[in-house]
Parts: sequence; structure tokens; C-alpha cells
Amino acid sequence: MASLRDLKRQIQSVKNIAKVTDALQAVSAVKFRKAEARVKRARPYAENLEEMMRAIAAKATSKSPMLVGREVRTVAVATLTADRGLCGGFNAQAVRRTMEFRSQQSADLLQVVSGRKGIAFFRFRRIGLAESYSGFSDNPDYEKAREIGRRLTQLFQEEEADAVYLIYNRFVNPAVQRPVLMRLLPIAPEDAEEEREREEPGFGAEAPFEFIPDADEILNELVPRYVETMVFQALLESAAGEHGARMTAMKNATDNANEMVDDLTLQMNKARQAQITREISEIAAGAEALSAG
Amino acid sequence: MADGGRTLFCRVITPERTVFDGEVDRVVATIADGEIGVLPDHAPLIATTKIGTVRIKRDEEYLVFATSDGFFKVSENLAQVLVEEAVPAGEIDVDEAGNRVEEANRELEGLTVEDEEGYRKRRAEIERRVRMGENLVHVARKYGEA
Repeated sequence: MASLRDLKRQIQSVKNIAKVTDALQAVSAVKFRKAEARVKRARPYAENLEEMMRAIAAKATSKSPMLVGREVRTVAVATLTADRGLCGGFNAQAVRRTMEFRSQQSADLLQVVSGRKGIAFFRFRRIGLAESYSGFSDNPDYEKAREIGRRLTQLFQEEEADAVYLIYNRFVNPAVQRPVLMRLLPIAPEDAEEEREREEPGFGAEAPFEFIPDADEILNELVPRYVETMVFQALLESAAGEHGARMTAMKNATDNANEMVDDLTLQMNKARQAQITREISEIAAGAEALSAG
Repeated sequence: MADGGRTLFCRVITPERTVFDGEVDRVVATIADGEIGVLPDHAPLIATTKIGTVRIKRDEEYLVFATSDGFFKVSENLAQVLVEEAVPAGEIDVDEAGNRVEEANRELEGLTVEDEEGYRKRRAEIERRVRMGENLVHVARKYGEA
């Protein structure tokens, strides 16, 4: 059995760990609430852009590859991870989803990644990175989304990639983040067709929009913005997920530490009791020996 | 509000947040070929907007926003301005906007031609920042004091 002094030291160090994880949990809780509010505030813009995208995609006459796609030789996949760890399986599940997606593709692959953890993972696996971004995962701004979005659109426009996918953690609640895969480009023609089928002529169809200058030109402006906005939404969701995951992970760590302190305290008390018992029996034995002599 | 007619609502939305949301009498936005004014019961419309202003008339007063380029969407008496940046005229920091113009201009001077395509894109992007900065200064001077 460990000595009394060892146990005391162990208890102290576990208590210190609990203090740190408890503080981290409190910080993450505040950051999570802020990030969650940002996701909600940013939704109206994204929803409007999506709605416009649908309205225009249905009306545009151009058969732009951005809309209808082209033969897929190379697939670009952008994975969003966090810059830091200590957030449970958050980063692992995003890269796992990515590896799963990569293994399903028969086309060539281009990997784009945001977040230091993701970068480290792909470097370790010796997977070449077409582009990497880091330093903003816990508080992304639109500028960064624009940078990434522009680059992804460019990859498609310059035919370096024929399809662009995005993988990120969508936050469901503080404890649950789900890795999701979405196609950014070409802009889902399957969806556009579904939309057309549902739009029975003259019945429930929304009023046709007037387009200025015209649908095709608006589309040219809209597609890059749409990609940026989707990236921005994903970055915000991912940031909220990261803080939520860290909060949960740190809560579990604190709980475990406290439990461990309880166990160790029990062990320490037993050890102390054993020591006292031993000392008494030694004294008793000594007294016995003296009186016997 | 509009006499007996339907009321028009307006929202000014940026990627980060909703800057304005409320009942209005009229909205004037800067679009590709000039300006467009929208009154209640306007036909559904989607337009691209240019760097300029969005002016909202409400109870005999105008609210002016300096806006970057984006989109303007009208349907069912809801006029929505979707732009990356929208700053109320009274809240523009003229010095900061001036710095933005200067900084962008400096970048423009330092820009080197490595490949034709990339250069054109970078240049267009920086010129856009110059125009937005100038727009902020202009709007602040013209409407800021009112």
C-alpha cells in the first residue's frame, strides 16, 4: 500500500488538476454562450442567401458548371477543426469523417484544412495539404470565411477541383457535436430539381422575382458569396461546437478528479488507520515483552 | 405609416448580425444601374447592390447606412438588404475609414505582378476596399451630422 505521504501528495496534485479543469470549464461556458449567440445572429443572412440561391438557380438559363457540375476528376474537401485540444472527440470525429469520405472517393483528392489540430493530423498521416488555415478557430470572423470561401471557389473555377465538399462539426447542444458533410460546389442540382417538381405551376408557387440586372449575372455574384457564407456558418457552428465540447470534456475531467480525490482520501484514511494500529500493536507488544521480562 | 395601405418592413442584414429591422415608409438602395426606391406592395425583386447607401424613410426621417456591395431582395412587403458591411451614418468613424483607404492604397502601390490572373483579382479586391472606405467617409460627411 502507498505510504501516507505519497497519498497526501497525490491528493494535492489531483486537487490542483481539478482547479484547472474547473476554471477551463467556466471559461468555455462563457465562450460557448457567446459563440452560440453568434451562430443565431448570423442565421438570417445565410438563410436569405440560400433562399435567393434557390430562386435564382431555378430561373437562370446559364448552364454554368457552378450550378450543374461537370465530370468529376478531382474532389476538394475542406475540413474544419479546432486550433486547440482538450475538447474530447471534437477534432477526432471531424478528421475521422474526412478519412471515411476520402476512402469512398475514386477521384483524385485535394485536402484543405482549417485549425491546427487538423493540420497536425494530416501532416502526421503525410497527406498533402492544398491549403491550410489556422489561428481563429475559437472566434472566426467573416474575413477568414471570405479568404477560405474565395479559395475554394477559385479551386473550382480554375478546374483544379470539380467538386468541393466541406466537413465540420455542427453543434447540436453543448454536449453533442455531429460531424457533417456538405457539398459547396457545384450547387446541388439534385435540390434544384426537387424544388422545380414541388413548384406546381399556378398553385402555391411563390411570386416570380424580377431580377436586376438579370438572373445569370446575379448568379455570378451570388455563388462566391454563397460559398463564403456557408463557410462562415460552418466556422461559427464549429467554434460553438468546440467550446461546447471543451466545456463538457472539462466538466467530466473535474468530476473524475473529484471522484479520485474521494477515493484517495479513503485510501489515505485507511493507511493512517493501519499505521496507528501497527504502532499500538508495537507498543503493546513492547509492553508485553517488558512485563514478561 | 402608409395611409390605409399595407406596411413595408425592412431588414438590413450582414453576415454577423441584423443591423436594422422594422416598419418603414420607403427604402432606397444603390443598385447596379442607379438607385431604386421601394414602397409598400412593390413587386418581388432580387437585385445586386453596389457600394453606396441604403436610405430608409421612417416617420418623416431618414436613416442612412453606408453599405458595401451585396444583394437587395423584396418580397411580400419585406425589403431585405444583404451586405457584408452596413454602418449607420452617425456611427461612422471617419478617421478609421480614412486609415482603411490609406492602408489599401499603400497595398495597391506595393502590389507586384506575379501572375496576370492573380494580380487582377488582388487588385480588384483592394480597390473594392478603397471604394468602401471612401464611401464611409463620404456618407459620414454627407449624412453623419443630421
